[in-house]
Formats: sequence, C-alpha cells, structure tokens
Amino acid sequence: MTVSLDGVSKSFGKSLVLDDITDVFADGEMTALLGPSGSGKSTLLRIIAGLTPLDSGRVRLGERDVTSSPARERHIGFCFQDYAPFRHLSVFANVAYGLKVQRVPRAERKARVEELLGLVRLEDFADRYPHQLSGGQRQRMALARALAIKPDVLLLDEPFAALDAQVRGELRSWVRSLQRELGITTILVTHDQIEAMEIADRLVILNEGRIEQTGKPSFVYDHPSTDFVAGFLGPITTLWGISYRPHELELSLDGDEGEKATVTDVVRLGFEVRVVLTNQTGESSWVQLTHDQAKALNPSIGQRYVVRPRSARGLIEQDPTKRARS
Amino acid sequence: MKKQSLLLRVLVLAYVAALLGIPLLFVFQQAFSHGWSELWAALHDHAMDLAILLTAKVVVVAVPLNILFGIGASLWIVRRPSRLSHVLDVLIDVPLAISPIVVGLVLELAYAQNGWFGPTLAKLGWRVMFSLPGIVIASIFVSLPLVSRQVIPLLREIGDHQEQTAATLGASPIRIFFTITLRSIAWAAAYGVTLTLARVIGEYGAVLIVSGNIALLTQTLTLNIGANFENFNSYQGFVGALLLAFVSVAVLLVIAVARHRLERKRHDSFA
Repeated sequence: MTVSLDGVSKSFGKSLVLDDITDVFADGEMTALLGPSGSGKSTLLRIIAGLTPLDSGRVRLGERDVTSSPARERHIGFCFQDYAPFRHLSVFANVAYGLKVQRVPRAERKARVEELLGLVRLEDFADRYPHQLSGGQRQRMALARALAIKPDVLLLDEPFAALDAQVRGELRSWVRSLQRELGITTILVTHDQIEAMEIADRLVILNEGRIEQTGKPSFVYDHPSTDFVAGFLGPITTLWGISYRPHELELSLDGDEGEKATVTDVVRLGFEVRVVLTNQTGESSWVQLTHDQAKALNPSIGQRYVVRPRSARGLIEQDPTKRARS
Repeated sequence: MKKQSLLLRVLVLAYVAALLGIPLLFVFQQAFSHGWSELWAALHDHAMDLAILLTAKVVVVAVPLNILFGIGASLWIVRRPSRLSHVLDVLIDVPLAISPIVVGLVLELAYAQNGWFGPTLAKLGWRVMFSLPGIVIASIFVSLPLVSRQVIPLLREIGDHQEQTAATLGASPIRIFFTITLRSIAWAAAYGVTLTLARVIGEYGAVLIVSGNIALLTQTLTLNIGANFENFNSYQGFVGALLLAFVSVAVLLVIAVARHRLERKRHDSFA
C-alpha cells in the first residue's frame, strides 16, 4: 500500500523537527529514510505509525486519510530499535499478541504463529522468553510479531543498529529478501549510508527536518543535488573548486590537461590507497586508487603528478540555487 | 585481610543481634513465660480481639486504595508528565519526610469538630475523628508513597516501547494496561503493597491522635499493645507484640520473594 505524506511538519517546543515533508512511498517499495541524528527521520517514522501526533499536514495510507487515526487503527507494523519484546511473554505469545487482539480463533492463531516462526527461523524457540534470545533472534521475533497482523506497511526504526557487525550484514540481506518475497511497503530509518544503499530501492535523505533529495541509491550517489548529500553518501574531494568522488580523479606522470601537484601523504587501507596531493597554490585534493592502480603508479611523498577528473562533469550539478541551499 | 573481614562480620552480626534479635527473642520469651494455657487465654482477650478486628478493617480499606492510588499516580508521573504531575511527584514523598505525630495533628486540625471540614462533615452525619474513617485516612497518608516509589523507577526503566508496540498491533489502552503495563510492574507493585501492609499494621503515632485510642472502639492492635504496657499489663502487651512479630515475619517472607523476582526481572533486562 502506498504511503503519502503531504506537508508534514512537527515541532518539539521551539525546535522545528520536521519542516513541510511531502513524499510518496510506492506500493511494495523499500525506502530508507537516511540522515544524521537529529535530522527528524525517527520522528517522521513515528508520525506515519501514529505514535507521535503531527502539527500540520496529512498522512494517507492508500486512499485512506489516517492523519487523525490512533496507531491501533492504522494497521502498520512497527519495529523499534530495541525491538521492545514483551518480556513477560514467550516468543510464541509475543508473535500471537496481535492475532489475539484481532480475536483470531485459537487453531488458526497457532497455525499462523507457527508459519511466521518458520519464516523468521525461530520455530525451535517458540517456548523461550526474550531474555533467552540473542539480539538477532529478538529482532526476528519483533519482525514476526509485526508481520503477524498482515500489516499494510512495515516501519523499521534503525533495525540493525543494535547488532554486531557480522549479524548485521546477514540480517540486512535476509530482511531485504523477506521484504521482496512479501512485497510489503517498507520504510526503514537509518543513519548508515552503506546500509541504506545496500537495502533500499529508494533513498529519502533528510537533514535538519527537510528532505534534501530522494531517488534510487546509485543515482543519488552519482548525482547528489547538494554538498550535504554528496558528503553524506560518500567521500568527496575538490579540484578547481568542484566536488568529485575521490575515485573519479586520476593521476598521471605527465600531461597538459590537469593540475600539477605534489604528493603530501599516502594512506594504504588494504584494497584502497588514498593519495593526498597539494598544488602550487596550496590547495589539496585526494585521490582514491585501487590496489592495482597504486602498484602501477607507486606513489610516494614528494612525487609530482598531474591530477585530472575522469569525466569533465563535477559531482554536483552547478545549479546556483541548489548550491546556495547547503 | 581475612581476619579483618571476619571481625567485620562478627561486628555486624552482633550489632544486628543486639538491636533486633535479642529484643525479638525477649518478646517470645515473655509471651510464653506463663505457659500455653495463659497464652491461649491472653489471645482471647476481648479488647485485643476487637483491636485485631479493627486493624484488619483498616488494612482491607487502606491497602487496596493505596494500590490504586500508587499505580495511578506512577502512570501519571511517568507516562503523562506535566507540571502538575511533577508537583505530585514531590508531594508524594511528604508523608515519609514528616513525623506521623504531625500527620495526626494535621488531620485533627482538618477533621475535628472545630476543624476546617469537621462542621460540614458533621452536618452530613459523617464522623472522621475518633472513628474508622479517621484511622483509615491516617494509615493511607503515612503509607502513600510506598507503592509508587517501587513502581515509578521500574516504569521508567522499561520505557514505553512495549506499550507502543502493542498499540500498533491493535490493542486498546485498557488492554495494553492489563496485558503489558500491569504485567511488567506486578512484582514491584507487590513489593510496594507488602511495605504498605507492614506500615498500616504497624502505624502508631498518627493513628494514636486521630483515633482517640478508645479501648474496645478505636483501638488498633498497636494502640492496644501500647495501652497494655501503660496499664502495667505487660504480659498482655507481649502477647500482642508476638502476634505483630508473626505478621512481620510473614510480610518479610513475601518481601523477600517479591524482591528476588524483581531483581531477576532487572537482571533479565536487556543491555
């Protein structure tokens, strides 16, 4: 089901947390709300769920205007960052909670819970209690509990932030494939741009309560509309006052097109090698080389190179109105 | 180091024994000093039996009211914070800070026949001072914070994410209260309730003033014990004290269980 936001604004006291947010989340799409802490992304998620009242604007689910509906009437699955397991209930009872509220008959309820526990691979843990589960298992339980009521939309608040790196990676791709399988409209909040780009069909990048840019991850990465988006999604460097991704610059020993510069630092990070160069006027850029490129060039401090962009186009379109915003 | 810790333990145990153990043993020794038949007769002392009945009545009214107030106030203070609830949060501790005798005097000032509400209540035919309502009010007053002081920190600690999740799953506020909130705070509330029970049964000063301490009418068990000692009927007093000691042991056992469960709950909480 589509989720439409129309001019959503929210203040806490005197601070404006969300400023006129308008966006449409397409049916079956996985969207990441991406932004630094304090950008308003979690508040926006809570407003969609009906857990936080908004000051102005409308929220629609499909054709239904739910702006003034309480959370329990919205039929939206919500997973908190801490998973909020019902501590006094078994895994089975946690997942069955929403079905019990809906008065689904006992036998049907049992069948549905077992099906869900199978889906999240917790069938052997039905009788356990939340404190007997690992972080990843708790998260899968919370997911099964939210999915039990067959929600129209699934909202995930920083779903992987509390997990250690290895589990995080596994769960990320698992959640992605589960979402595709179920075809459920999903919005997840994250401050991790790599996570967002890996998991989402579409990014909504928020900064200080406003949408900076929306679009497909690869497009936004290559065509950021503001310096903020460019810097938030990946490393940037400048040459002749224009922003570039560091891997879009190349080094050669000679040539006319390009800037003559001297190597001031070389940082080797396994596969990636970062070369920092400074030109005659003291402006510095850095170039990202692959391991193989670095091997061929063998840069060292004090060496002189010509730096030039692989393509003439800078990272950010030189639209003065957009540049002024950031 | 070992010798020091041994010495410390002996000191602590001796201290506790001198303060608690020996006086308690003395109560037992005195109560049993006249043999079983005397004890049996003393247990059937008319004034004491009426005092026990009165204390039971006070418990039956005051404890449930305190549970309702304690849980309600806790939810208001933690889940719906406002300026007014902050005021309550501070005021709720007043009964712990002031002496029960002052509580009694203030209640007398308010409810006595020449007090603030006394004349109005008298016109309605209600008598607060020197009767059961006054004793109940005094008992509630002195034990007011005992439930909420246990529940508030736990409510803060568990947060509202479980409740909000239940709301997204379609649960009504009443259902959320009974299936999530109450279940989460049950042991903390039980601990608070036993503390309230012990306080209500054991209260002396405030009740002494508001009840008028009239034998056979407004004498609670503690007042009855006090009166017996004052009237040089100390044997009867020790028998009453023995009964209170048994109640205390029972309450302590419940407290121990509740605390154990509570600590296990805290232990289970997630990092």
